[in-house]
Amino acid sequence: MAKELLLSGCAAAAQAVKMARVDVICSYPIRPYTAAMMELAKMVNNGELDAEFVHGEGEHAQLAVVYGASAAGARVFTGSSGVGVTYAFENYSPISGGRLPVQMMIADRALDPPGDFGSEHTDAMSARDQGWIMGWAETPQEAFDNHLINYRIGEDRRVMLPQFVCQDGYFVSHIPGKVKIPDQAQVDEFLPPYAPGTHVLDPQQPCSHGPQIRPDQGAIMDLQRGEAFLNLPPVIEEVIDGYNRIMGRSYSPWVEEFMTGDAEIAFFLQGAHAATARHAIRHLRDQGVKAGLVKLRFVRPWPARQVAESLSKFKAVGVIETSTSYGGSMRGGNLLAEVRASLYDLPERPLTTSFMAGLGGDVIPLQEFYWMAQKLADAAKAGRVEKTVYWAGLEH
Amino acid sequence: MSVPVKTQNLPPIKKLRNIPKEEQYVPGHRTCAGCGPALQYRLVAKAAGPNTIFLGPTGCMYVANASYLCTPYQVPWIHTQITNGGAVAAGVEAAYQVRIRKGTWKGELPNVIVMAGDGGSSDIGLQAMSALMYRGHDVLFVCYDNESYANTGIQTSPTTPYGSNTTFTPPGKAVPEGKKLFPKDVPQLVIGAHPAVKYVATASVAYPLDLMNKVRKALNHKGPTFLHIHAPCPKGWKFDESKTVEIARLAIETGMWSVYEWEDGEYRYQYKPKQYKPVREYLRTQKRFAHLQEEHIAKMQAFVDARVKSPGVPVNVPLPGPREQP
Repeated sequence: MAKELLLSGCAAAAQAVKMARVDVICSYPIRPYTAAMMELAKMVNNGELDAEFVHGEGEHAQLAVVYGASAAGARVFTGSSGVGVTYAFENYSPISGGRLPVQMMIADRALDPPGDFGSEHTDAMSARDQGWIMGWAETPQEAFDNHLINYRIGEDRRVMLPQFVCQDGYFVSHIPGKVKIPDQAQVDEFLPPYAPGTHVLDPQQPCSHGPQIRPDQGAIMDLQRGEAFLNLPPVIEEVIDGYNRIMGRSYSPWVEEFMTGDAEIAFFLQGAHAATARHAIRHLRDQGVKAGLVKLRFVRPWPARQVAESLSKFKAVGVIETSTSYGGSMRGGNLLAEVRASLYDLPERPLTTSFMAGLGGDVIPLQEFYWMAQKLADAAKAGRVEKTVYWAGLEH
Repeated sequence: MSVPVKTQNLPPIKKLRNIPKEEQYVPGHRTCAGCGPALQYRLVAKAAGPNTIFLGPTGCMYVANASYLCTPYQVPWIHTQITNGGAVAAGVEAAYQVRIRKGTWKGELPNVIVMAGDGGSSDIGLQAMSALMYRGHDVLFVCYDNESYANTGIQTSPTTPYGSNTTFTPPGKAVPEGKKLFPKDVPQLVIGAHPAVKYVATASVAYPLDLMNKVRKALNHKGPTFLHIHAPCPKGWKFDESKTVEIARLAIETGMWSVYEWEDGEYRYQYKPKQYKPVREYLRTQKRFAHLQEEHIAKMQAFVDARVKSPGVPVNVPLPGPREQP
């Protein structure tokens, strides 16, 4: 029976993974994602979920175990946070290059130093160019849905790519929210059993997987991985459409807008801080400020056309960066560089700047949103931006 | 959750003429002439037969074998990073366990074999190897030991013998013996700390029947097993490529290599000489030892004398002191 439960993002992820009838799970403890593995361990040991639960000896091994299991035809799940995500890094490209639809949950955590439990997107964003699908959930409900949606997308024969299914640590991973859980029959209708491709490790059909190539054989393989990403957008749209229909949801595949109809300024972000942003926008509207929000759902593939279409209607856009890119072109984070690249071909572009906010896992208080809105309003009035990055809360 | 689903019983091969004719590792690869690791690969694959999956951590047996569009494997093979052969094998085995249980794959659990070099087993790959042995996966881990990182140009590894001239331990005025450290004892690492392991053996390319029968015995065991195979490397050890088998045999005759198996807690030796030849006879066959002086050879002999007494007995080795003034 479909039901509604109060679940944290981690518990919601575990529910989705169970309902996906995953075959092999590989765990290693690190906060905050580890709560999802604790849930799955209970499900397996209670007999609710028939899966192999392998205790990996580290994050590097986690990704190696699921690489092998996926190559041997299993639907797999693993996850990590913070320095665990970076420790596993060597494996990301072999998995996407092997066209293995591995799924990895990331509950963000700031990287060291200093030791910090808080959510910051730099862990996952460092891996954004490794050939994986990547996107953020704002709520436990979205986390639940994204895990199922991503399996379906990644396992599509036109795609065959791994997926980072991300949620902010603590804000999403540990704060319970209402989660609508569909019937198992609905999930089964949406997500058929995994049908491994022709390159599965099977003694009845031998193949060699991941051999050494010559440099002149490399470019074509890179092109094939690139083409898989070109094939992605229609598949994502089709899958999300199907999910909405079967589950009764109303997700838009690429960007979700809030109070943008008549907005002059807008915040652009991904993940948990969208909830505070909406709250701030309601208050700003009360003050007569025409503010709106555009929330990104996938950072890979980057929806350049949809971002451009969405943002072109504003006078000024503030990109809220929850990750760092030291020494980058925008002097702060990565999202603004992607946003500006998306807008480049437009005849008329909105003014754009970025705000470093929520770093270290700190909350972005309403006051900071008001301050950011003021900077955007000033820019809109002046017709130009002062600079490409502001450090919210650390400057006036 | 794992339910053992392997019922195979590969029979021992009594005589050379009974060796299966079918090759699972075929010619056409790019290994050097006289390559010990390639020789043992062929024997391991032949012994294992067609219901086998090989995992190839980066190393000679990856780079020189697995050329795109012409790999020598007749059975499924997958590359792993040099770090994680054990972990990928765990995933493959776990996938087959669950797929057989759920009925999404029909057949007997394949032989899952990691074919790792000494670095991929005992150095950068040690963590994954140990975890595989600890967790009890039904996997055979083979360490083909050519006593160096040979693929990258002969650098020292934890199994490179004391006194070796490698590109990271070149003998010089300040360090006349080249390599100063004594090697890790790899099978003892496995035996000493992994209760799920019931079978560990060493083997040598000098004795192919013994090697193949140990592969079969290991594969017939349920759970993790480990083989440490001595595989001389003409390029790295600097000897004539026609001498691979002779040098492998001489290693056993001088005590530089011991052939034994450890099964359910009991040791059995094979090819143990009644009287060991002096290590000097082994050292002089290879140019990697050509620079050694009498005092170094004496140190090596003392180490070997202590080690051949019994496996698992700690050998007191001299620690490298501070660097000498040239």
